[in-house]
Amino acid sequence: MLNNRKVRLMTRLAMYEQKEGKEDIRISKYFRTDYVRLQVLKSIVALTLGYMLILLILVIYHSEYLIRNAVVLDYKGMIMRYAGIYVIILVVYCALVMIGYMIKYRASRKKLAKYFRMLRRLRSIYREEDGEAVTGEEEAVYYDRNNT
Amino acid sequence: MIVTILELRARFLQYLQKFQIIIEPLVKFIIAFAVFRSINNAIGYEKHLMSLPAELLLSLLGTFTPPVILVLLAALVALAHVYIASPILAILVALIMVILYCFIARFSGKYGYVILAIPILFLLKIPYVVPLILGLVATPMAIIPTACGVVVYRMFVVISSAAKFEGSTQIEDILAMYIDVIDRLVADKQMIATIAVFSVMIIVMYLVRKLSIEYVFEISVAIGAIVCILGFLVTDLVIHTELNITSMVFGTVGSMLIALVFQFFRLALDYTAVERVQFEDDDYYYYVKAVPKMNLTMPERSVKKFSTIRETEFSQDDEEETPDDMLSDDENNIQGAD
Repeated sequence: MLNNRKVRLMTRLAMYEQKEGKEDIRISKYFRTDYVRLQVLKSIVALTLGYMLILLILVIYHSEYLIRNAVVLDYKGMIMRYAGIYVIILVVYCALVMIGYMIKYRASRKKLAKYFRMLRRLRSIYREEDGEAVTGEEEAVYYDRNNT
Repeated sequence: MIVTILELRARFLQYLQKFQIIIEPLVKFIIAFAVFRSINNAIGYEKHLMSLPAELLLSLLGTFTPPVILVLLAALVALAHVYIASPILAILVALIMVILYCFIARFSGKYGYVILAIPILFLLKIPYVVPLILGLVATPMAIIPTACGVVVYRMFVVISSAAKFEGSTQIEDILAMYIDVIDRLVADKQMIATIAVFSVMIIVMYLVRKLSIEYVFEISVAIGAIVCILGFLVTDLVIHTELNITSMVFGTVGSMLIALVFQFFRLALDYTAVERVQFEDDDYYYYVKAVPKMNLTMPERSVKKFSTIRETEFSQDDEEETPDDMLSDDENNIQGAD
């Protein structure tokens, strides 16, 4: 027999899982430090690639000058300068990325808390139906992490 | 008068709900078609892509794939056009796109399509509608995709004017053109002015929107439009951008009207989308169509204040069973479950 309360609850859970919940659940598989570290790492890779491409554009832009003065150029100074700029950008960028993703992680956790509340309610409905507890393994894992 | 308008809106939304399954792809198709059409009009060099079947096919592809694919397709089409005109410029464009993505565009999140919307709306002379709407719905983070969109548009303006002069394959000429394009891109005052004005608009509208006053959204749109007009006038005075002031003013007024219409339907639209979900339990498969209930007369918006102290209390209060937090029970009417 259909249980209307259960269907309503499951519908709502499914709607959340299909939309914004997808991302939240994915994020919830990481600990906060792991998640933020992964994102910072990705950003470092992206930033390095972007910076190198900018340098490439600059090198082509100044190619005439570079080729003409190829012998007398102060390569060491140049490398130091561009490496210095790179490090400064990297530090600022990483700090911003870190803060941003920390905020995002917290927000997603909050949304997830509501989801677990509904899951728990679903479990209690199951309990009522069967007269015994259902072992929602996934739920237990989420629940534990959510409370750490 | 106002009651009739509200009823009309409700009726309109009802029809929308009823025919959502047709209307949604149709709207997506029209948007995709407009995107490819305007790209072809603006920088059409590759003749095959400009034929109607190609346009229709691409639009169809954009209709049934996520928005990211549409952005990607549009970028590829634009690149193909530039490549026909000048391969070296196409490489430059591709490089700049990758750099933009690496540095900032990857953070645009769900507002990624803004990057596409700004150039297209620039061609239609109403780019101002983007910051006006983002000011209503987004956080200041939306400045990122907005800025990217402006950069992309200005890049194509510079590129398409440079591409006209290309013809020579001499390495010196190519290098000279390359240097010229970069010089013009870096010194593009209008780009910087536009980004600055759009950013200020988004921030100011966001701040105004947070005030607890009546008609806050309408006021926010009006203030955004004023900031837009004043901002472009001031930047024009200070750094002499070549800006067509009449078209800017009319464009802003038009954008303001669009933003107001959008605002009129927005909250209602948010809650009218029919959801289809599938799931199962031990005994059944469920194919559920969830249709949100609608009130014929929308309730007037009232200002409520929540103090931060209560909010934290609420979030910590994990154990307590609260009635549905995501959507209230009577908002949803689950139609069919089998």
